[in-house]
Amino acid sequence: MIRRVLIANRGEIARRVMRTCREMSITTVAIYSDADADALHVQDADTAERVGPAAATESYLRIPAVIDAARRSGADAVHPGYGFLSENADFAQACADAGLAFIGPPADVIRRMGSKTASRETVSAAGVPVVPGATPASQSAADISRAVRDTGLPVLLKAAAGGGGKGMRIVRHADEIDDAVAAATSEGVRAFGDGTLYVERLVERPRHIEVQIFGDAHGRVVHLFERDCSLQRRHQKVIEEAPAPHLAPGVRARLLDAAVQAARAVNYVNAGTVEFLLEGDGEDARFYFLEMNTRLQVEHPVTEAITGFDLVRAQILVASGEPLPFSQADIRVNGHAIEARVYAEDARRLLPQAGRILAYREPAGTGVRVDAGVAAGQHVTVHYDPLLAKVIAHAPSRREAIDRLAAALTGYNILGVRHNIAFLLALLERNEVRDGRSYTRFIEDHLDALAAPPNASVVHSAVAVGAFAAATAAGAEGSGAGSDDDASAQWDPWDRLGPMAW
Amino acid sequence: MAKRIYLDAGESTWTAMVSGGEVRLSPHDAVVHVSPAADGFEATSGPDVVRGAAAVHADEVWVQINGEVFVFRLAESARRPRTSARDHDALTPPMPATVVRIAVTPGQAVRTGDLLIALEAMKMELPVRAPRDAVVRAVHCSAGELVQPGHILLDLE
Repeated sequence: MIRRVLIANRGEIARRVMRTCREMSITTVAIYSDADADALHVQDADTAERVGPAAATESYLRIPAVIDAARRSGADAVHPGYGFLSENADFAQACADAGLAFIGPPADVIRRMGSKTASRETVSAAGVPVVPGATPASQSAADISRAVRDTGLPVLLKAAAGGGGKGMRIVRHADEIDDAVAAATSEGVRAFGDGTLYVERLVERPRHIEVQIFGDAHGRVVHLFERDCSLQRRHQKVIEEAPAPHLAPGVRARLLDAAVQAARAVNYVNAGTVEFLLEGDGEDARFYFLEMNTRLQVEHPVTEAITGFDLVRAQILVASGEPLPFSQADIRVNGHAIEARVYAEDARRLLPQAGRILAYREPAGTGVRVDAGVAAGQHVTVHYDPLLAKVIAHAPSRREAIDRLAAALTGYNILGVRHNIAFLLALLERNEVRDGRSYTRFIEDHLDALAAPPNASVVHSAVAVGAFAAATAAGAEGSGAGSDDDASAQWDPWDRLGPMAW
Repeated sequence: MAKRIYLDAGESTWTAMVSGGEVRLSPHDAVVHVSPAADGFEATSGPDVVRGAAAVHADEVWVQINGEVFVFRLAESARRPRTSARDHDALTPPMPATVVRIAVTPGQAVRTGDLLIALEAMKMELPVRAPRDAVVRAVHCSAGELVQPGHILLDLE
């Protein structure tokens, strides 16, 4: 049995894994870079080990440093979270070689499903439909251009080693091919150390539907129903929900079955997600395998909400060699859950933001869960993913869940760094979203309306509240209220044009 | 006693006269009533009542209302709206970023929208593009360099 888990991650996901560890009486080890010495995930852990300087490539992504930290701290297992090394087969192998239980699938499964080409071939052979596409054997610009023309425009160029929307480019016209190939290749090299490109037909107006699957070492594979993650921006998910709205019963049954078949095809063990694109409506809808994520997803809490199962607990049990704690018959859908990702970003310009959190208040209430990586006094740096927190609402019906999420977001105060909460609220107010009629390009198509500046009355109220707060703060007139430490809150010079420019 | 607060919002500065819970704003001659509420403030502007939160840090004033974030700087006085930053060719990063690639060399002619410099921050590419047709006069950064907001990346003429 696992007794001490090193969490090879940071932020909200590291804290979330630690919560379940504590419930299971498992001690926790945090790792941190120099930028994270005072981070909450370090404070939450029983012990913490430094793994390097701020840059992720020299700390959270450095396999020998993470393995050394596990050895030093006496950990017997490693949870990779998502991102960083979570889908790195070499890391899973290094853990196994060091005698550490890797809380995820075996290295060979990660390797096979981590390659878009190999995973497509594998699931296609198992009878799961895939989108037409290819990885050109020669990666010269000319050969990639030929593959683009063979596949048929529009196409999506993707880094073959990638994920999370990095290294992706849409090409609609032949004259865009060269620029897109250059950009996608260089982004792939920088993000993943591999510029190999995959060329895929772009499915128009699709929904992104994914299935949570789970396997154990005893040959059992189950699904925990689907999630709809159609609301995305630049291929980054923004709002996710479960179950998927308006999914015809026959389509749902085939989709869930296809996901289980895909998992069985690779003898999948532990938590994984099979992503599909869904095109069309009703029982005529068609779905195509997109990719498999061999890890816990950011959006796993919506599945936990509707099924009632703790996925991290199941991951730890399965990694200990135990059978899955639930059978397919145990897994039922209860109500509806929806999650919003709160990012430190300027939502109008989609620029990540940095700063120090000056004031912070989390929402609470029936059916509301907040998985956060920040609190007052914490620094948000430019070094890592700008996700601050996830807010999840669960209710008997979809409509109530959306209402709960909107109320929770309205009551979520994060001051000191720009964030996307107003943008999330604007999304939740849209009729298309309320009616469950969104698709993956919905945000791009409606960006102007979603990112509209606030009206004059709200601006006046903001100025008045700011002036009132300044007048009462420290009683001093003008500036100089604080002897606070370094003022690191981020000022975006381009942004000065913002609130006043309506 | 009324207290006068100047809040710099970028292009221009608000003057707010705060007396008790009444705040008078100019320009716009708006009157907003503010009162402390649970975890923040309640503001009444005409028929609209909203809840907000605020934090003052050094000369920065952060306000959040309905999820929307406002950032002001405390100023010593009201000043004329300054010329728009858009007229100026000081190309500077919007946030701390790493220079990934410099796509131009001094003396090179560029057209509106041409990529000048590729920056990267938080795993995201941030292209710096030419705001107008121009000639590159000088480049003030190098590939791999970490640049901060305010750092002039290059001059155009």
